[in-house]
Amino acid sequence: MKERLKPYILLIPIMAVIIGIFAFGILMGFLQSIGIFKAAGLTEITLKYYREVLGSKSFIDSLEFSLYIALVSSIISIVLGVLLAYSIYKSKIRTGMERIFNIPIVVPHMVSALLMYNILAQSGTFPRILHSFGLIKEQASFPSLLYGKNGVGIILSYMWKEIPFIAMTTYAILGNISNKLSDVARNLGANNRQVFRHILLPLIGPTVFSSFIIIFAFSFGAYEVPLLLGPTSPQTLPIKAFIEYSNPSLINRPYAMVINMILTFISIVLVWLYNKAFSLMTKYKW
Amino acid sequence: MNKKLLLLILSSILIFNLVGCAKKPSVDTIDVLDSSWEDILQEAKGTTVTYYGWGGSDTHNSWIDGYVADTLKERYDITLKRVGMNIDEILNNLLNEKQVESTEGNIDVVWINGENFFTAKENGLLFGPFTEELPNFNKYIDKDSPDVKYDFGYSVDGYEAPYGKAQFVMIYDSEKTDNVPKGHEELLEWAKNNPGKFTYPALPDFTGSAFIRNIISDIVGYEQFIDMEADEEVVRKAIEPAIEYLKELKPYLWKEGKTYPAEVPLLNNMYADGEVWMTMGYNPNEASNKILTGEFKDTTRTFIFDKGTIGNTNFLAIPFNSPNKAGAMAVIDFILSVEAQVSKYDPTGRGDLPVLDNDKLSDEEKAMFNAIELGIATLPQDELAEHRLPEMPAKLVPIIEKIWMETIPGEGE
Repeated sequence: MKERLKPYILLIPIMAVIIGIFAFGILMGFLQSIGIFKAAGLTEITLKYYREVLGSKSFIDSLEFSLYIALVSSIISIVLGVLLAYSIYKSKIRTGMERIFNIPIVVPHMVSALLMYNILAQSGTFPRILHSFGLIKEQASFPSLLYGKNGVGIILSYMWKEIPFIAMTTYAILGNISNKLSDVARNLGANNRQVFRHILLPLIGPTVFSSFIIIFAFSFGAYEVPLLLGPTSPQTLPIKAFIEYSNPSLINRPYAMVINMILTFISIVLVWLYNKAFSLMTKYKW
Repeated sequence: MNKKLLLLILSSILIFNLVGCAKKPSVDTIDVLDSSWEDILQEAKGTTVTYYGWGGSDTHNSWIDGYVADTLKERYDITLKRVGMNIDEILNNLLNEKQVESTEGNIDVVWINGENFFTAKENGLLFGPFTEELPNFNKYIDKDSPDVKYDFGYSVDGYEAPYGKAQFVMIYDSEKTDNVPKGHEELLEWAKNNPGKFTYPALPDFTGSAFIRNIISDIVGYEQFIDMEADEEVVRKAIEPAIEYLKELKPYLWKEGKTYPAEVPLLNNMYADGEVWMTMGYNPNEASNKILTGEFKDTTRTFIFDKGTIGNTNFLAIPFNSPNKAGAMAVIDFILSVEAQVSKYDPTGRGDLPVLDNDKLSDEEKAMFNAIELGIATLPQDELAEHRLPEMPAKLVPIIEKIWMETIPGEGE
């Protein structure tokens, strides 16, 4: 009995901090979202705010826009990241390549957004280079990649950060897979593509999936990149939540909290999926 | 076992540290509203005063960190610590502290005005009334002027002391364009002639919001808003012509008005890059400052509309749970001194309009202000003063911002 309790006792100190701060914040947010906010004189439990937010077009636009950005950037990053890891794994020049990954990983998102701005804005480096080679008539004729509803600037900024991250995690797994399985498959006449498709991919699958969840959750909840590179409307959900939150009128606070609760709910679903992926991994004894 | 014990001790120390951070000994030992000024200065001696406020202006930051902090240290032995933070975050912190009934905050002086002051005062987040206790406030400030008595139409009641004045100006490059628009119709003409070369920051950015209020005043006048109730439908109806105007202007803006720079510094960068030919600011001196720092071209100038541009006063207040109210009052009083206001007015210092009443200044003091050479792009004080429109009531501002957000940006209906 004592032995079984031990890990929990050892976890108490850190859990007290995590659960204490986190749960308290969530609870306060939840109470405010259902209309209990004493500081603003609100004491009636009501679902009015949820109804209004979920029924408003601007919220639905924001939700779609956030999901679109997070999905597209994460899927592209996964595909390219896995291919990058695989090609480095197959190539002979392994040393040093991993170090290149580390550069974008340690650079903050804010900086990557500014890099994108400096390169892609119509007054940025890339249009200037094209202009000086005479490829475009004037800088303004460079297609506008930033601030658009297609979110190109945001997606590129996330890709720059996330492809190396995926490549790094995938490469770590690939490096640990014993070659026996691949050799067996090749002996039985499988070509490289089939080995990748039927042996390596299932083995790295859970890791890739859990990495996908991590970057998806991050880009779904990030604030600074869409603020710097995104359109004025629709706003991503975190920006919308922050603008609602910073409205000086306190009566408005529940709306911000409703958006926060929805963000939290989606994140919790993602964590659940992540755990599922984890249990798959343990099945494969990693 | 020993190792485990050590781990346990270490982790508990860490946790108690987290809790311990929030506790710091109180500084105030006297009731500042009931003490002589000498006692207050005595109490403030050797203490640290934290100054919280918007940190987006380098000239303002270096003026506080340099001149103000150095002089306070030298003269009153007060250490001034500036923390740059957006006012909405400051208010949220204070509000959270109020909710958990914390009597020991960490903010002593807060730079505030407008709807934020309204929220702070309505929710009991401020200490006061304290301005009557300040010698310089009594000596130099015209207490009956609307600039001091009201903040965005809301009664101040001594809960904040005037700090500086600002007036909205448009900034342009005189090399690229020589005839500047004198009102909203001409601005539309200008935008039609120079498509893509004008835009404004997306609301709720402070400057973008001020620009829209200025356009509203230009089109439908400001008088009707002074007593308007804060009701969305009423406001919507009142600003309808202005919204129609903005829709008409939209296709000629940068990126056809489908998107707007998120904050005014981004617009300033676009102007500096030549991507747009105009920017705007709530500080008449900002353009001159940016010429000095090399951010803007030398040919940058400012202009205002014939019907005027909105101006406001910004203030300094003391939070309800400031641990060092005596120090805060000493700092605010110093900022209201002639010397500090002159230094603030100097474009090389900060270039912010003074708040002192001209009639209360002696001839030498007036001469100190007159000796200041204004920057090349700054409009003269009297020209600004003649074209100064009052701000709209604070409670209407968020409503206008909401209506703008719903009707203007996006791909168009």
